[in-house]
Amino acid sequence: MRLRSLLLSAAFVCATPALAATTGSFTGATANLAPNDPAGQWTRQARDYANTRYSPLTQINKKNVGRLRIAWSFSDGQMYGHEGAPLVVGDTMYVVTPYPDIAYALDLSKPGAPIKWVFQPNPDPRSIGKACCDKVLRGWAFADGKLIYNLLDDHTVAVDANTGKEVWRVQLDDVTKGPTMTQAAFVVGNKVYVGSSGGELGTNGWFQALDVKDGHTVWKAMTNGPDAGALIGPDFHPFYSFMQGKDLGETSWPPGAWKQGASAPWGWVSYDPDLNEVYYGTSNPGPRVPSQRPGLNLWSAAVFARDADTGMAKWAYQFTPHDEWDYDGVNENVLIDIPWQGARRKVLVHFNRNGFAYTIDRTSGEVLVAKPFGTENWAKEIDLKTGMPVVNDAAHPIVEKKVTNICPPDIGVKNWNPSAFSPRTGLLYAGVFNSCMDLNNHIVQYIPSSPYDGMEMQRHAGPGGNWGEFIAWDPVAGKRVWSIKENLYVWSGAVVTGSDLVFYGTMDGWFRAVDARSGKVLWSQKLGSGITAAPMTFIGPDKRQYVAVYAGVGGGAGVIRREKGFMPGGNTLYVFSVDGNGIGTGTTQLVSQAGAAAPVSVPPAAAHN
Amino acid sequence: MKLVLAFVLAATPALAPFAFAQVTADTPNPFDGKPDAVEAGHALFGQMNCAGCHAYDLTGGMGPDLTDASWLYGGKPGEIFHTIAEGTPRGMPAWKDKMTPEQIWQVVGYIQSKKAN
Repeated sequence: MRLRSLLLSAAFVCATPALAATTGSFTGATANLAPNDPAGQWTRQARDYANTRYSPLTQINKKNVGRLRIAWSFSDGQMYGHEGAPLVVGDTMYVVTPYPDIAYALDLSKPGAPIKWVFQPNPDPRSIGKACCDKVLRGWAFADGKLIYNLLDDHTVAVDANTGKEVWRVQLDDVTKGPTMTQAAFVVGNKVYVGSSGGELGTNGWFQALDVKDGHTVWKAMTNGPDAGALIGPDFHPFYSFMQGKDLGETSWPPGAWKQGASAPWGWVSYDPDLNEVYYGTSNPGPRVPSQRPGLNLWSAAVFARDADTGMAKWAYQFTPHDEWDYDGVNENVLIDIPWQGARRKVLVHFNRNGFAYTIDRTSGEVLVAKPFGTENWAKEIDLKTGMPVVNDAAHPIVEKKVTNICPPDIGVKNWNPSAFSPRTGLLYAGVFNSCMDLNNHIVQYIPSSPYDGMEMQRHAGPGGNWGEFIAWDPVAGKRVWSIKENLYVWSGAVVTGSDLVFYGTMDGWFRAVDARSGKVLWSQKLGSGITAAPMTFIGPDKRQYVAVYAGVGGGAGVIRREKGFMPGGNTLYVFSVDGNGIGTGTTQLVSQAGAAAPVSVPPAAAHN
Repeated sequence: MKLVLAFVLAATPALAPFAFAQVTADTPNPFDGKPDAVEAGHALFGQMNCAGCHAYDLTGGMGPDLTDASWLYGGKPGEIFHTIAEGTPRGMPAWKDKMTPEQIWQVVGYIQSKKAN
C-alpha cells in the first residue's frame, strides 16, 4: 500500500505542466477520498470526509457536456437563500429548504421525482431576526438511516430517512439571546458535528459532537474562554509561539469580553480518518470594532484540529490575529497530501476571507504556503516564521473616521462557498470575490439579542470592475493556474469530476461547466435565480449521470443586492442530464406517483430581507 | 441633546404619547417638526444597535429596509412606535425596557425623516 502510493506520487510529481494540460497532475497533490462511497452516490455535502467535492463520474464529459439539458426541476416554495447541495442515497434525493427548514425526500425512481415525504420542523420564527446573513442552511447530513440537520432556532433534528418522521430533536442554545444555527451538520461514524452561528450577535461560539442515535452531546468545545471549556489540555501544541500559553482564550481579551466574543464555528467540518481528527474554523471576534477588544482575541478567526472522539484540541492556527475587518476563519479546510521538499506532507488547504490561501501541515499546524488568491491590501504578507500577518498600516480602521479602499471588505475574497479539489489535476477550484470597502467604525454597546457590530461600510468592485472570478489554484506553489472573470461575486460552491469538468454558478444565474485543465467554459445555462448553492452530481436509478444545483440567490450575497444583474430570489432545484433524458422525461403522458403533498405555507415577507 | 431631554421630562406628565399604553396607531409623533429630536433619534439608532440590523443608512440587511414603502407591521408613526416598543414575532427585540417612550419617538422621527410616510 505504502509502496503503491509512493509510486503514484512519483508518477504525479513527474508530470510536466505541458503534460498536465492534457492528462497528468499539475502539482502531484492527492487526497484520501474516504469513506469511498459508491461513485454514483452523494451522501454528504462535500461527498468525502476530506471535503474535496470530487466525483469520479465520467458519463458526462467534455464531448457531451454541451448537450446538458434540464431533465426535471423542483421548487420548494421558500424564498430565503439556498446554499446546500442535495444528497442522493440509493434511489432517494434529500433536500432541505432554508428557514423554515422543511425537508423533502424525492423518489428518483419515478417519473418527475415526486415527493416521497415532507418533514416540517416548525422552528421558532424569532430566529428570523437573529440570523445575520439571511435565514439559510448550508447543508444536511445522512447517517444511520436518518437525515440530520440544524434548525435556525438552535436545534439539531434527526428524521427517519424512510418515513420522514422525527427521531430526535435537541436544543443546543437559546435563539432569543442571539445565536442561530445555519451550519451543515457533518457526520463521521456515530457522531454528528455541529457548530453555532452568530458572529455579529455577541454570542459565545461553540462546537460539539452529538450522538447519531439520540442526539445527546458527546463533547462540547467553547471557542473562547478558559482552556477547560475550550477542551484545551496537555495534547494541545500550536505551532507558533503567539498561540502558546495558558487560558489564552480568556486572557487575550479585555476582562470578560470573550463571553460576547462570538468566534462561532458556522462553516465546514472535515475529517482525517488516519489521524482521527476533525478540522473546523471559527468566525470573527465580537464586536466587529477592534478598538473595543485589545488583544489577540483567541480563538477567533482560527482553525482547530481536534481529536474526533474526545474533542481535545491538538493544534490551532489563528489566521487573522485581533481581526479588524470581519475576516472569519470558517471556510472549508480541504485535506490533501502534497509533495513538499522531497517528501509527502499531509496538509489542509484553506481559502481565508482575508484573501490568503493557506496550505498548512495538518499534523502540526505549520503554515507551508500562504499566498494571496485575490485582491487584498490589508497585509503585505504572512510571515511564515512567526505565522503572523504583516499588516499594512493604512488598513487599520479608525472610530468615527472613514478609511477608504481596504481590500477585501468584510465578506472577504471568498466566503463559505466551498471549493473543490481534483486528485487528477492536483488543483483546487473556487469562486472568489474582487472587492474593497470604505470603512467607518462606530463604538457599540452589548445589548443582548441585538447585533454587536459597529462596522459601517461601502463596498465597491476591485481592480478591473468585475466583482467576481472563478479560479483554479495550485496549493503547492501558491498561485493561480487560470481564472474566469464574472460580473458579480461567484458565491456558489464547485464540483469537479473524473472527466475533468468543473461546475459552478454565478449570481446572475448562469450555471457553467468548465474544462478543469484549461479553464475554458464548455457549457452555460441560465437559471431562474442567482446561484449561491453548491452543485453535485450523481447516478440515477436509470444508470444515467445527472448534475444538480439550486438556484435561489441569497445569504451573504445580499450585500450586493443593488448591483446590476442581481436576480430575484428563487427556490428551484435544477437537475441536468445529457439531452435532458431521464425517468422524468418522455414523449408520452408522464404522471406523478407522489407519496405526500407539499405544505402550502410560504412566509409572507420572506423576500423582504 | 440635553435640552431636548429637559423639554421631554418637563412635558411628560401632560402628554399621552409618552405613556406606552396610550400610544395608538394614530398617535402622531409628538416631536414632529423638531429637528433636535430627529438628531437625537439618529444617535440612538446607532447607540441601541438598530443600525446592526437595519444598516447605518437604514436600507436594511439583517433586518428590513426602513426607507422603502413596504412596512411589515405598519408605517404610521404610532405603528412604528409600537413595533419598536414591543418587538416582532420575527425576532426583533422589544425595546420598551431599554428605551423611554421619548427615546422611541425620537427614533421614529429619525426613521420618518428618511422617508416621507
